[in-house]
Amino acid sequence: MSIADFMKRFPWWHEVILGVLLAGLLSVVGVVNPQFLNLKGQLLLSRHLWEFALLALPMTLIILTGGIDLSVGASMGMCAVAFGLCHANTGSLALSCLVCLLIGTAGGAVNGWLVSRMNVHPLIVTLATYATFRGLAEGTSQGESYSQFGDGFSQLARGMWWGVPIPAYLFALMAITCALYLSKTPSGRYIYAIGHNELATRFSGANVDRLKFRLYTFSGFMAGLATIIYVSRFDTAKADAGTGFELDVITAVVVGGTSIYGGRGNIGGTVLGLLLIHETRLFVSRQWQIEELRSIVIGLLLIGSLLLYRVVRPVHRD
Amino acid sequence: MNALADIAIKLLRQREVGLVLLILLVTAIVSLVDPGFLDDRNLKDILVRSAPTVIVACGVMLVVVTAEIDISVGSLMALLAALMGLMISHNEWQLSMWIGIPTVLLCGTLIGLLTGALVTLGNVPSIIVTLGLLTAIRGATTLLMGGENIDGLPDELQTLSKVGPAGMPLGVWTAVAVLIVTQIIITHTPLGRRLFALGSSDYSARMTGLSATRLKLFAFAYTGFLTALATVVDVPRLPKIESGIGSGFELLVVTCVVVGGVSIAGGRGRLGGVVLSVILLTMVRPVLTFLDVGEAGEKWTKAIQGLFILIAVITDTVVSRSRRGGARNTSSRGTQVAVPRDATGGPAA
Repeated sequence: MSIADFMKRFPWWHEVILGVLLAGLLSVVGVVNPQFLNLKGQLLLSRHLWEFALLALPMTLIILTGGIDLSVGASMGMCAVAFGLCHANTGSLALSCLVCLLIGTAGGAVNGWLVSRMNVHPLIVTLATYATFRGLAEGTSQGESYSQFGDGFSQLARGMWWGVPIPAYLFALMAITCALYLSKTPSGRYIYAIGHNELATRFSGANVDRLKFRLYTFSGFMAGLATIIYVSRFDTAKADAGTGFELDVITAVVVGGTSIYGGRGNIGGTVLGLLLIHETRLFVSRQWQIEELRSIVIGLLLIGSLLLYRVVRPVHRD
Repeated sequence: MNALADIAIKLLRQREVGLVLLILLVTAIVSLVDPGFLDDRNLKDILVRSAPTVIVACGVMLVVVTAEIDISVGSLMALLAALMGLMISHNEWQLSMWIGIPTVLLCGTLIGLLTGALVTLGNVPSIIVTLGLLTAIRGATTLLMGGENIDGLPDELQTLSKVGPAGMPLGVWTAVAVLIVTQIIITHTPLGRRLFALGSSDYSARMTGLSATRLKLFAFAYTGFLTALATVVDVPRLPKIESGIGSGFELLVVTCVVVGGVSIAGGRGRLGGVVLSVILLTMVRPVLTFLDVGEAGEKWTKAIQGLFILIAVITDTVVSRSRRGGARNTSSRGTQVAVPRDATGGPAA
């Protein structure tokens, strides 16, 4: 096999490019600000990452089918208010967590129903629920914020086991499950098939509607889970929880090499994308102390990465 | 009975009819509660508030007709407002209004053109481009304004934006003019017909020799220009320019376009529906005020607007299904493309 052949067939280009970018970023950071690269500090700073990371998993699956979910951030607002209201009225943390997950799942199911049963474009569905969920959160809470959930609860997001934050274990578990699901189960393979050609998948006998419904419901459930960690981290539940998260999550997934048209991508790429976004954000806000610069960088990164992938066109295995 | 139902469904399929009925219904209910709702001042206020949305929605509608989307108009409006404020305010760079305003219009058009170029030449999906720009431009605006508000806009501009010719503010007149121009583009120029052709079938349009690149570039540039125009005529109405200006505006505009019956899959939609839905959605806040639900009720505005889109898309599906004979045809629901309507589905005037 000649080198050119090898270059053409090598299946991991995408991950290599992302890895090189990440290494490049980290070495630049290391030169500019050596303290930044300390492992302990990084683990401590990783707290900002886990909610995004959890949301990025279902987002990857949804984008793989050629859909999109813009409502995840708003869904978190709704879940946070549900959590706060439940805690204020019952005082039970376990019940509040359950309600939070239920509300999230219900919201996701509404998305799923509209996308799969009513056959409305996911972009429109989730744009509508994006406004509806956030509006419901603002309406029911009336701008009030709920807090004081106790020290034990805030340990959930802030605590460490063997030097690693607790949410990291949760994320690792979910990520591995999702990766195995995508690569090893029939319905996981159907997700790619839907992204490639939905009609053909339907004709091949897969229950596309049910699968899509489940994916959006799963996304809602994960929004509920992310909310619990978010609330635990800030010890506050407010209607504005998760504002703007959808952008960061979609950016991470797209930068991670999942095609926005569906059918291409994997969880591994998303994890690398998440790390890249996370480190960029940390570095930018550390170095220049300007919050606005961060959103400029993320927005440009999103557009830039897609432009880049148009040019380099990596070969893909599915 | 059956014939009656048929007629009812046929009428409801015209999005405009449903919207007019809804507007009348809401107006009737609210004016029963508080007759002050029908007051000249209130009606004029609704018109004034809908003006910028109408102006921008004309552009976004053309973008959606070509099967693309633009969700960056809110941020763009903020950036242009900041730019305008910095240039012509007598507390800032003190440039003449006649330099500042054309520059703002030019910048808007250029940014629209850039968006279009990224979508067509860069081949990046428009939802991703405009989602990225939404955040990037918002960040740039905050950076540009440095956390300060801008005031001290020229008096003549502020007066014009409040009371223009014939007692109506400049914004309303601009909206009317933009509506007429857009309607002419849609129905009476090859350009408009080509935009719809491109949206109905990208492939056939290319095969007939239309340039998708040029058509989409036009749609995005037009949106950018109209956003700048809306900024110029509407922003001076406020005493000062804040950096949060226009946030959520993109959502409102897209909502209006979708509720107005423009198909997100492209190629179908009428300006009349868009204008009516702008008025309906602009009425939400004043209606809540007149129903006297107070501060608490106004927090529900966003939820109500979101519900409107949901209702619009659900009725769309239900009505189109009942037209196809009631039974749901599972096998035909495979593609994401909207079910083609009958021959009247085009942009008939």
